[in-house]
Amino acid sequence: MKPHPAYVTIGNSEVILQGSLSELGRLAAETSSFCRQHRLADEVAFELNLALEELFVNAVQHGGCEGLENAVEIALRMTPQSVEVDFADRGRPFDPRFAPAPDLVAPLSDRHLGGLGIHLVRRMMPDLEYRREGEWNRIAMRRRLRPRDRQTEPQVESQPSESI
Amino acid sequence: MIQLTQEQKNGWLVVSVRGRADAEAADELESGLTNALEISSRVAADLSALDYISSAGLRAVLQAARAAQIRQSEFAVCGLSAPVRKVFDMSGVHQVVKVHGELPC
Repeated sequence: MKPHPAYVTIGNSEVILQGSLSELGRLAAETSSFCRQHRLADEVAFELNLALEELFVNAVQHGGCEGLENAVEIALRMTPQSVEVDFADRGRPFDPRFAPAPDLVAPLSDRHLGGLGIHLVRRMMPDLEYRREGEWNRIAMRRRLRPRDRQTEPQVESQPSESI
Repeated sequence: MIQLTQEQKNGWLVVSVRGRADAEAADELESGLTNALEISSRVAADLSALDYISSAGLRAVLQAARAAQIRQSEFAVCGLSAPVRKVFDMSGVHQVVKVHGELPC
């Protein structure tokens, strides 16, 4: 079966974030709007949002991006087999591929609760590349798409959107 | 945005968590759960209306589990949707937090 033409169209979405956790709402809105536009299942939006939140929060809380203007640039690209994600931040050099693994087996009372975020990014996005370019950390990731990641039902687009 | 509501149910204090447990909402989630542990020795977090959780939200749940352990209280989570469960599983959280399918939520 030929893929639906909409899936072959390469679509881009870009967002620039300030170095503040208050940007998380906008990040979530941009991610879900990209996924709606490309008729991707909610699970894909969840996982893309998760990977991007973890990298963003890490850059703000540990990378020195707190309070920086235009601290983070994100690009989402739709390809026939996957969503490609570029994440760039102006924080200290940080290669997520070599971040220490969190302790997942220690008893709760001894467990150090750090490192979970980057662990989740690596689990969700196994195809992860990193390079340092000037003052930027540049991370390229790919979320491969399975047939069930596509929404099969046509979305209702004719209804007026709610406005406040 | 996260909303927490409390309800007594079958001997448990059930805290229903609605919305998104991201890094911005994590403190509110943690204090909501630990406050419930001050009221009751059996607390369950019903996550069936939780749309999203990140590691910050998970840490809030783990902190609540830790607080329960110190108090020798019972703490459970239930009503996990498939994507939320995936995040729990990938983090090894199910080994330290009781995860219920239906009861006690």
